[in-house]
Parts: sequence; structure tokens; C-alpha cells
Amino acid sequence: MSRASGILISTVMLTGAIARAQPAPDVPIAPPPTPPGGQPAAGDPGAPPTTPPGPDGQPQQPPDFGDPYAPVKPVAEAPKRQLPPIFMPEVLTTPTGWLLPAGVIYSKTALDTGGGVSSDTRVGLGDVAEFGLASTDAVRERDGDDDARATRIQPYITASFRLGIAENRLFLGQPGFTLGFRKSFERNHDNFRTRIAELTLVASKHFGPNVAVHLGGAFWDASLEGDLDDDDVSARREITLHGQNDVTQQLRAFGGIELRPLPKSQILVDLGWSPEFCYQCTAGGSAPDVNKIRLRPTLSWGVRYEVADWMRLESGVRVPDIGEANLLDAQIFGQVTFTSRALQRAIEGLR
Amino acid sequence: MPTADVIGAYMLTLSGDASLVQDAGVLSSAGVLSIGFGDIAQLEYRHTSAISVTGVNAPLPAAGVQIKVPLPERKNLPVFGLAFRLGVPRTEKLGDTVIEEAVTDLYLVGRLRFSFAPWLTLHGGARISSAKIELFGDREGTENTLAERRLTLPTGGYEIAMNKYAKIVGEVALAPRFSFVPGPDTQPAIGYGVLGRLGLRWSVTPALIIDGSINYQTEFGRVADVATLDAIVQWDIRLGAEVFLPWGALACRAVGVFCD
Repeated sequence: MSRASGILISTVMLTGAIARAQPAPDVPIAPPPTPPGGQPAAGDPGAPPTTPPGPDGQPQQPPDFGDPYAPVKPVAEAPKRQLPPIFMPEVLTTPTGWLLPAGVIYSKTALDTGGGVSSDTRVGLGDVAEFGLASTDAVRERDGDDDARATRIQPYITASFRLGIAENRLFLGQPGFTLGFRKSFERNHDNFRTRIAELTLVASKHFGPNVAVHLGGAFWDASLEGDLDDDDVSARREITLHGQNDVTQQLRAFGGIELRPLPKSQILVDLGWSPEFCYQCTAGGSAPDVNKIRLRPTLSWGVRYEVADWMRLESGVRVPDIGEANLLDAQIFGQVTFTSRALQRAIEGLR
Repeated sequence: MPTADVIGAYMLTLSGDASLVQDAGVLSSAGVLSIGFGDIAQLEYRHTSAISVTGVNAPLPAAGVQIKVPLPERKNLPVFGLAFRLGVPRTEKLGDTVIEEAVTDLYLVGRLRFSFAPWLTLHGGARISSAKIELFGDREGTENTLAERRLTLPTGGYEIAMNKYAKIVGEVALAPRFSFVPGPDTQPAIGYGVLGRLGLRWSVTPALIIDGSINYQTEFGRVADVATLDAIVQWDIRLGAEVFLPWGALACRAVGVFCD
């Protein structure tokens, strides 16, 4: 009995000692000590198993069957290129010296209280140019000298191409410059055919983060074809603005200012010019055609609110002929502008 | 204008541009199809610039070959190219008169790059044109129906690299200008016209280039009543694209030829 008890006690003590020698399940096993030199000793049971060299002499990697319980390694994304900011190509009605970045699509739609509807779609080309198609309501018409109130010809479709140098591109403090050309498709309205074209050179500069100024010059041209004489004879003829042989009738200065009193809101003011056709005006004295195509000053002011990076709302007042101080023709307008970088990102992806 | 460079061997380019606002109701377009041979020449079917009797820059079709003069390129020295374009007659109608126009050209052009201004490339050269205009239709069998003239037309251009992918491009060239006033005994004439272009060339991807430009044209020598410089209502916006096709690589993958 005492022998059996001794065997039992010895067995319990032995298994207890073995069990105590095992690490607890949540205690990490310390790696074996590394011999001096940092390399495991040959024959060291703690050394990782070596693989025989492959046919090219390089050690073969053991096949990785994957560990379904291994933690997922975070995927390190390549740093994205900083995209240039988008500065608007127009203040309210006049062009700026800024261009859309390459591949950026811009779309503006406007409504006003005079029933005017206009739209403008552009795309930035190579950070150097932009192309656009627009429908403007700025071109106006009158029948003759007795027609006191001008009405709009709309839609008036134009294409535009602008080329320029970005702000601070050549040297720090350099304004942004654009050379723009806008030309209309021929418009046949009330049996009168008209076309307009405008060549602009404009400079834009930021003064601090909250102020920007735009200043430019425009060289206008227009053509008008139809029965232009207020008589009983029906004879069609064509006149042009450049045909008046007076360059001062074609050259005009324009400009605008942008103020940012709040981070997402801007106050905008600009002064531009719009053509007005008077089909049978004869009040030019010795040059009866001189008043048939005229440029009228347009003053606009309003606010722009950046709803999101891709959306801006603008609202304000436009006086189509501030030269005559006719506030009765003033219109309150609202417009929404969308910008999209989808094409820009697609091009970056293709590269 | 052509440049002194040719496209690479086993390459094909297809390019075209068009304008809608040059003349009412007219889609003025031009295109080029080129195939490169041996890094020294290219065969092409293209539209060469000319001003038609209607005053529109209406390019004339031509088939041609262009060769890059095989001289070693050195810094600050020009490289030269020669091009011959055989004019294909183009027919247009003015009233009951059928007008046939054709221009055959020989070009000598050079390209110059500078080591001190690697962003600038200059192009220049001359075009020797044999132009011909002939009347048919209601003028067939009458007198004064033919005009032929040989013209020497200088041409020049520049490229300014604005960034890695875009260049500002400008060129000015004289071009043949056809004129004809309809009448029972009027004779057609051939004169000089000026074509100018300022725009950009944007490499969207290595295989696709977008071109956009403002175009200007007028006559030289007042052959007819066309635009002067201030008549910007006659100016024009053109958009175009050029696609590069590595036809050798495609043929290699498809049928296993031209793989070397």
C-alpha cells in the first residue's frame, strides 16, 4: 500500500513538474538566445529551417499557403498628386486671366428675371488653354431709331478658345494672362443675319487670399446682313463693325474685382461690353450705318457662394446698358456652376 | 506646315481638325493619314492649305512623301526635311459653274532647337506650289477658263513647351488663294493668302494628342475683298486630334509579322 502510494505521489509530482515547465497559453515564447554575430548556430534547434538552393543558386522560398487568420496588412496607397486649384474663368460676365486646369470640365447655367437663359460649358486643355461652347443672352437688337427698348436675341451660340499663362508661372507675382477668342455661329433672327466675335487679352492677379483684380481689353467685331435701310426698297446688304474703319469703335476696356469676406463667399463686380444691333437705325448723320452695330456697357455685381468644391451658386444684378443708366432694364440673375475633375483624374490614370 | 521630323517606323498617325464657326453652315475640316518608314520617311494622304474661291480656307487633298534628310543631329544646328505632295483635284460649284482646283507642292523645311532654350523649337521653310484652277459647267468651251501659277510660299512656326504635356504652337504661312467672279467671260485667278494659327498641342496620352487653335486668314496683294487683320469676325476656332497607332506591334501580336 505504501509502495502504491509512493508510486502515485511520484507520478503526480512528476506530471505536475512537467506541466509547470510548460508556458501558459497566453505567454509568448521567448526566442532562443542569439549567439554572438547575430547568426543562429548551425544545428541550433531554434534556427529557422534552411531551404536548399534552387537551380539559379538562390535559396528557394518555402511555399506560402496563406494564413487565414493572419491580420490584414494595410495597403499603402501611393500619394496622390496635389491637384491645382480651380479659379473661375469668368467673374460674372467678363473673362478672367485664369484658365481651367487640364481636363477640368466647367458648366454654368444662368436664369434672370428678364427671361434670359444662358449656359456655358468649357474644358481645360493642358493647363495652357480651354475650349468652350456657350449660349449667351447678352446680344441685343432694336428695329430702328424709334425702338427705344432693346430686346435680347437668344439663344446666341458661341464657341470660345482661350490660351494663357498661369499666375506666378514665369515669376512670383506675375499675373495670370489669357488671350481669348470668342465667335458666334451665324444667327438668323427676323430675317437679319448677325455674327459677333471678340478677341480679349486679360490679366488677373490675387492680392492676398481674399482679393483679386481683373483688367483687360477687348477687340470686337460683328456683322449684320439684311434689309438695313428704312425705305420702300427691299435690298439686302451686309455691314460689319470693322467696316466702319474706326478702331476705337472696336476696342474696349473691361475689368472686375473679387473680394472674399468669408471663406466660402465672394463679392463680385465687373464691367463688360455687349453688342447691340439696330437694324434700321439711321441716326449716324453722314455715316448712317454707324449706329447699326454698337457696343453697350454692362455692369454686374453679385455674390458667389461655394456650396462644395464642385458647385458654386451665384446671384446678383446685371444692368445691360449702364451707359444710359437705365435701371428699368436691370435684371436679377441666379446661376449655378459645376466643375468636375472626373476627366482630369481619368487622364491622370491613363498616364 | 510640315515639320522636318517624320514619324517612326511601323507607326501610323491619323489626324484631323475641324471648325464650325469659320463660315455659316460649312464644316471646314482637314485630315492627315501618315505611315512611317524606316525612321527616315513617311507616306501621307493629307489636305494641304489653300483658300478657295468662296474665301474659305478649304484644304485641298494631296498624296505625298516626306523625307528627313539623314544628317547627324547636333545641338544648335537645324535638321531638314523634304516633302512632295501631289495634288488631287477638288471640285466645287459656284452657281452653274463647276470649278476644279489643284495644288502640287514641294516643301523644304527646317527645325532648330537650342541648347540654351530647350523649351523653344523653331520651324521654317518654303513651299513651292504649282496651282491650277479650271472652269467647267456653264463655262465649258468658253475662253479664259484656265489659270495656272507657280508660287513660292514662305512658312514659319514655333513651339514653346509650357509643361511636360502641353506646348503653345504658332505658325504663319502663305498659301495659294483662288479667286473667281462668276460671269460669262471672267477669268479665274490665283494669288497669295496668309494663314496664321496660334494654339496649343496637348499630349493627353502618348497615343493621343489634342490640338486647338485660333486661326487667322487674309489675302496678300488684295486679290479679292477678303478680311483684313481687324476683321476678327472672319477668324476661326479649330479643334483637332491626332492618334498614333503602332501598326507594326499590332501586326506582330495579331499575325506574327514585323516582330523584328
